[in-house]
Amino acid sequence: MAVQSQNLITRKTSLSANIVQFCRFLREKGLPNGPAEEADALRAMAILPPEDPELLRDCLRAILTRSRRNQVKFDELYDEYWRNLDRAVDSKVKDGKEEKPQAKPKQKAPSIQALKSWLHGNKEEEEQTLATYSATGSLIHKDFSAFGTEELSEVMKLIQQFARMLATQYQRRYRAAKKGQKLDLRRTLRLNLRRGGEILELAFRKRRVRKMKMVVLCDVSKSMDLYSRFLMQFLYAFQNVYRRIETFVFGTRLQRITESLREREFSGALEKLSDQVNDWSGGTRIGFCLKYFVDTFGERLVDQNTIVLILSDGWDTGELAFLEEAMIYLHKKAHKVVWLNPLAGNPNFEPSVKGMATALPYIDLFASAHNLDSLRKAIKAMSR
Amino acid sequence: MISHPELSRIEKMLATQGYITERSIVISVFLAMQLRKPLLIEGPAGVGKTEIAKVMAQALDTDLIRLQCYEGLDATHALYEWNYQRQLLHLKMDEGSQRSLADKEKTIFGEAFLLKRPLLQAITHHKSPVLLIDEIDRSDEEFESFFLEVLSDWQISIPEIGTVEATHIPYVVVTGNRTRELSEALRRRCLYLWIDYPDYDKELAIVQQKVPNIDKQLAEQICRFMAVVREERLEKVPGIAETLDWATSLASLHFDHLDQEIVESTLGVILKDWQDIRHTQTSLSELLEKTGVISKLE
Repeated sequence: MAVQSQNLITRKTSLSANIVQFCRFLREKGLPNGPAEEADALRAMAILPPEDPELLRDCLRAILTRSRRNQVKFDELYDEYWRNLDRAVDSKVKDGKEEKPQAKPKQKAPSIQALKSWLHGNKEEEEQTLATYSATGSLIHKDFSAFGTEELSEVMKLIQQFARMLATQYQRRYRAAKKGQKLDLRRTLRLNLRRGGEILELAFRKRRVRKMKMVVLCDVSKSMDLYSRFLMQFLYAFQNVYRRIETFVFGTRLQRITESLREREFSGALEKLSDQVNDWSGGTRIGFCLKYFVDTFGERLVDQNTIVLILSDGWDTGELAFLEEAMIYLHKKAHKVVWLNPLAGNPNFEPSVKGMATALPYIDLFASAHNLDSLRKAIKAMSR
Repeated sequence: MISHPELSRIEKMLATQGYITERSIVISVFLAMQLRKPLLIEGPAGVGKTEIAKVMAQALDTDLIRLQCYEGLDATHALYEWNYQRQLLHLKMDEGSQRSLADKEKTIFGEAFLLKRPLLQAITHHKSPVLLIDEIDRSDEEFESFFLEVLSDWQISIPEIGTVEATHIPYVVVTGNRTRELSEALRRRCLYLWIDYPDYDKELAIVQQKVPNIDKQLAEQICRFMAVVREERLEKVPGIAETLDWATSLASLHFDHLDQEIVESTLGVILKDWQDIRHTQTSLSELLEKTGVISKLE
C-alpha cells in the first residue's frame, strides 16, 4: 500500500503520465479507447495546456468518448478517478461482481393447456391481477389480459391483419427494387463504344436488394401468461405471411419453435408446441436464455439485415451480466433490436425491473404490446 | 467564459457568425481542427448540428461541401459519375475521325468527362474545405464503409483514371440523429460531440441574437415555455429552429407577451405532429402555469 501511494505521488507530478493512466482506467471500466486515443489526448494537452480542471475534462471527453452513452459514463468515471486518485488506481476494477446465477425453482405448469382451453372457449381464472390498465370500450384499447372469449375471433382477425401489415412493410422495399432496374450507363457506353457510340445494346444494373430477416424471442414464463397467448397468435400469423423469420420461446431455457409454427392450422401449431415446449409458465431466466441464443445462434442468424424482436416483461431474477452481454451483442450485430413489453402500457410503468433496466440502453425501439392499439403502433414504428 | 486564447478566438469566430456556443462545443471544434480529425456530432433534430459545419467553413474562410445522406446513397452520388451525355456527344462529333478505339476511350474517360460528387470534390478542392456529411445514419452500411476508406487514405480510385489523391485534406463534420447505430470503426476515427437542447439561458441568447427586435419579456416567456414543452412526452420535440420561427412570427405580430390565446393559435409553429398539438392543447393552462405566464389565481 505504501509503495502504491508513493508511486502515485511521482505519477501525479506528470500530467501526461496521469492521462495515460486515466485512459487505462477507462479501458478497465469498459470504456473502449486505444493507443490512438491516448496519443490524441497527449497531443491535445500539448496544443491546449489545460489551465483549469474543467478544460481538461472537456478536452478528454471530446477525445476519449464516442457515443452519448459513453459520455455519461465518462463523466462518472472522470470524477471517480480524479477525485479519488489513489483508490481508483489501486482497486483493479472491483465493482460488485454479479451474484452467481441461481438455479430457479422449476415450476412445471402445463399452461399450454390453459392456453388451448382458453382459445377454445374456456374462460376460467381470467380475472387475475391485471398487469396493465385497460380502458373499457373498444377492443382496440382493451388490454390483452382482459379479453373474453366472445371477442376472441375478432381479435385474432385483427392480429392477423397486423402481421400482414408488418410483413408487407418489410417486403415492399424488395418488390419496388425488383422492378426498379436501372440503366447502367457506364457499362452501356463501354458496350457500344466499338460501334462508334451508337447505342444498340443496353446494360442494366439491379439495385441491391435488402431483405430483412427477423428473429423473434418470446417470453412464455409465468409472468407473461396473460399475454403470451396473444403473442403466440401474433407470431403464428406473422410467420405465415413472412417467411424470413426464426422464432424462439424462452422461460427457463430457450427453444426454437420455427418449425412448429409452420403448421397450417393454429390449433395444429399449438398441438406441436405443447409437445415440444415444456417450459410454459415457469420461471424466467432471460439473461441465461438470451446469452444461450447469442452463443448458439447469434453468429448464424443475426446480421445487419436482421431485426431482433424480443417480447418480454423483463422480469429476471439474476444473471444480469448475461443479459447485458447478450444485449450488447445483439445491439451491435442486428439492424434493430425491438423490445415489446406488455407491461409498458401501464401509465405508471417505469422500466425499473432490473432486467429491463439493464437491457434498455441497448434497445432501438421499446414499446408496449398490451393491446391491439399498442401492437399496431409498435408495428408502425418498427417499419420506420 | 473561456480564458484560453485559442479557444476564445474560436468562440469569437463562432459568435461573429451568429452561433452561440457552449464550452464543450468550442473545445470539440477546436480539437477537431487542430488534430485534423473528423468531428462526429450527434443530438436531437434541430439543435444546430449542421450549423456548426457552416460556421466552421465561414470561420476558416473556406468552402463548405455538403453531402446529404439518404438510404441507398451510393458511390455514383457520393464519389463521382461519368458525364454520359457529354461522352455520347463527344463520340458523335468524333464519328468521322480515324482515331483508334483505345484512343477514343481514353478521351471520353478523361477528367473532363468526370462529374465530381461531394467526396471527390472535397479532396480535390484548391483549399481545405469543410466537408459536411449530413445525417450519416440515414445512409446504409455500404456508404459508411467506402466513406471510411476515403477518410483513412484520402484518396479515391477510379478504374478508368487511376487513383486520385487528395490535394488538401478537408475538415470533416459528420452529423447523425441516432436513427441507426454507427459502426465502431467510424466512431473510432472521429471526435465525438453531443449537442443537447439548449438550456434556458443559451436559448434566450440565441433568440435575442437572431430576432433582435423581439420584446425582452416575450423572448423570456418563449424560452421558458419551450423548456417546459420539451419536458412533455412528444413525438417530435421542437428544436431551436422552431423556437426561432415562433419568436420571429410573434415578434413580427408585435406581441410583447404570451397568453393562452396567442399560444393556442400559434402552436402549429412549434409542434409539427397533430397528436402533440392536441396533447399540448389539453394541458396548455398547466404548461403556461409552469411557465409563469398565467398564475393559478386567474
